[in-house]
Amino acid sequence: MSLRLEGVSYRYAGSTATVLSGVDLVVERGEVVGLVGANEAGKTTLCLVAAGLAPATIGGRLVGTVHIDDLSTAVARPFELAQRCGTLFQNPATQLSGTAPTVWEEIAFGPRNLALPLAEVVARVEEAVRLLAIGDLVRRDPARLSGGQAQLIALAGVLALRPSYLILDEPTSQLDPQGTRLVGDALAALAAHANVGVLIVEHKTDLLAGLASRVAVIEAGRLVAGGPAADTLADERLPGWGVQPPAPVRLARAAAAAGVSLG
Amino acid sequence: MDWLSRQFSTRVIVLMPIAIAINIVLGATVQQALKLPIYLDSIGTILVGVVAGPFAGLLTGVLSNLIWGYLLPAPIGSTTIGPFAIVAGVIGLLAGVWGRLGLFRSRRGESSSIPGAVVAVILVGALAVYTYARAYASPTDFQNNTGFDPATIDQSRIFFLLILVVFVALIAVALFLRRDVGAVYAIGAGLVTGIVAAIVSAPIAAVVFGGVTGSGTDLLVAAFRAGGDSLVSATLKQGLLSDPMDKMITSFVVFFIIGNLSQRFIARFPNGERLVSTSSM
Amino acid sequence: MTADRPTGSPPSPPDFVLQAPSGAYLSLNPATKLLVAAVEVEAAFLVGTWTGPVLVLLLVLASAAIAGVLPRLAVIVAVTVPIVASIMLINGFLYPGAVDVIVRIGPLAPSVSGFQFGLQITLRLLAASLALAVAYLATRTDDLLSDLERRGFGRRATYVIGSAIETVPRTVDRAAEIVDAQRSRGLDTEGRWWRRARGIVPLAAPVVFGALTEVEERTMALEARAFSTPGPRTVLRVLPDSTPQRLGRYVLLLALVAMIVGRITGPLAVLP
Repeated sequence: MSLRLEGVSYRYAGSTATVLSGVDLVVERGEVVGLVGANEAGKTTLCLVAAGLAPATIGGRLVGTVHIDDLSTAVARPFELAQRCGTLFQNPATQLSGTAPTVWEEIAFGPRNLALPLAEVVARVEEAVRLLAIGDLVRRDPARLSGGQAQLIALAGVLALRPSYLILDEPTSQLDPQGTRLVGDALAALAAHANVGVLIVEHKTDLLAGLASRVAVIEAGRLVAGGPAADTLADERLPGWGVQPPAPVRLARAAAAAGVSLG
Repeated sequence: MDWLSRQFSTRVIVLMPIAIAINIVLGATVQQALKLPIYLDSIGTILVGVVAGPFAGLLTGVLSNLIWGYLLPAPIGSTTIGPFAIVAGVIGLLAGVWGRLGLFRSRRGESSSIPGAVVAVILVGALAVYTYARAYASPTDFQNNTGFDPATIDQSRIFFLLILVVFVALIAVALFLRRDVGAVYAIGAGLVTGIVAAIVSAPIAAVVFGGVTGSGTDLLVAAFRAGGDSLVSATLKQGLLSDPMDKMITSFVVFFIIGNLSQRFIARFPNGERLVSTSSM
Repeated sequence: MTADRPTGSPPSPPDFVLQAPSGAYLSLNPATKLLVAAVEVEAAFLVGTWTGPVLVLLLVLASAAIAGVLPRLAVIVAVTVPIVASIMLINGFLYPGAVDVIVRIGPLAPSVSGFQFGLQITLRLLAASLALAVAYLATRTDDLLSDLERRGFGRRATYVIGSAIETVPRTVDRAAEIVDAQRSRGLDTEGRWWRRARGIVPLAAPVVFGALTEVEERTMALEARAFSTPGPRTVLRVLPDSTPQRLGRYVLLLALVAMIVGRITGPLAVLP
């Protein structure tokens, strides 16, 4: 059981440009896979395709297959996909439903959509709250949260659907350093304790180095490198693909260039 | 039922509250901050109608006015708006029909559309002449209870001229700035929408508010009444002056918005394929 | 959170989610309050010329006092001042065909019947808008939407209404920022009309395009939360209702129909 992309190519509706070509990628439950690449390399498109939002919600032409466990995204409907694969986007403000007066009800939005029994809704909200340690936020008005807090609530809302996989598209890119730390810590705890497979796009490679077990590099719609996180993030070609290596790698390189050994 | 549920895809459901907010905020700003004798409170309604269909447009219009009138607190909320929900609904419904007919499609660089556009202008012009001739040149139909001699004023020419000037000016701007014959259809559709809106809203304004709305257009009503018109007649005349101008400008704005949004985005709406220029696909 | 409830009982939402409004009138079911307002509005327009508006106005003020929202009604009344002024001036001074003109000043002809008509329209308008205002002030929007959803309103309808109410203030803030920014760059909000008209485009374009950029993001976020699941959603809370209220609502519905019949057949039309 895994999230598998096999020979995937994709182009948007009304466009002739192929945004992804020949992508093969597997995410197992319980592992964190990082994805890095320059702007416009196809990172967000890959997220949408992996989550099944493309083509189910936005159309376009998909070649190859995407399977979330045994469900093919080519035929699945959006609400079926949402229960297997959760997606967190960049902007926290647009991910909240905007119809809930309290954070608790915001997290309950997804489970209620599924028409689960009330006791099950409550259990799922409480589980998500516990996983992300956000008990002190549940009474708050979702419209009055900081960016980092709002992103945590958005994540909790997705987790309450109990997905087997999570796709995180630059979840900290629009957050201040404090918010980044808040979300980063929550993701680390989640990766350690919940049995979910995570695909995370993140240009903050320092954050990635601490989270991901494997990292893949995308350039111009193709995966050009991939392997254990430590190896990929130390790859010398990384800056050439528009990716800044983590601070320790840069430090080591700068030291080596200056002829200093950091032992 | 399928055509109905397709008009309410998740994307349309997301667009509707945003369109409602655009209606309310622009409407309130234009009336309160800029104090102009137009409304500009149906951009969102016409946009939804055009991209999603008649029923979605109708609901957006009705909900806009009900929420504006009754569910928002006082500085924005305004009880004078609520009763016009029917008019807003009709505007959205018509916009949906225009969208279905492809009247808001971009026709950039399509010289084959020019004869059609000319015919459209003539048809719309004829309809406008007929309506204004009825409303202004023979006011007896509307002012039986005023006892005022209708022959002494012939405002029809002045007002019809004004509408025509705006109509032609907008088309000229559209052709000059965007080189797009499609704008002619959109603005023509706006003129028709405006006339219908005026006819539907006049009795409502007269019965509920005694012909006034507390906005810039009240001065016009006052002028007509000073000229001896009855309540409904005065509000209808005011409406026939304000509404077509407002809806022509609004339709032009919506046409401009659709032309400036990414074609990829527009194509995902239920009516998308009728809005995207065939030459750019 | 888990400590909030005794162990052993089935899990239920926390109290701050479930809490229902308390207090006289406020604790009535939203559907009841809505129906009361509808009957009041209809009565203001259909019952006689003076009887309906005056009775409704008294009723509305009484219910506002009971609900404790009387002071907040003052704001609503303040908002109607411009339109009331318009109604009184235009009808008072320009009532066509009036035989009881007080004095003629050029085109202006203030008349007794004109002012009477203006006053009558004003009373109707005040009665109707205050009836709706009391319903609004005495009901949390969230309660209304919860109740509508429980009565079979679809998730799409409640989303559109709830989200619109939340989107308006955000859009107002954005529009205000834009107006300020454009003003500092010379947007004219006080000058002649054509100068003000020129300000529409730099004001409207950023508001509209800014709002529309959110559509795709919000669509995908909703789909990612299983919004398009067919069928009804889980009901989180049931607002209190009672048998007398249910019976009362049937009576109110009957009244809605009865007033139309009464107006058409005559008895309500002949009232003063």
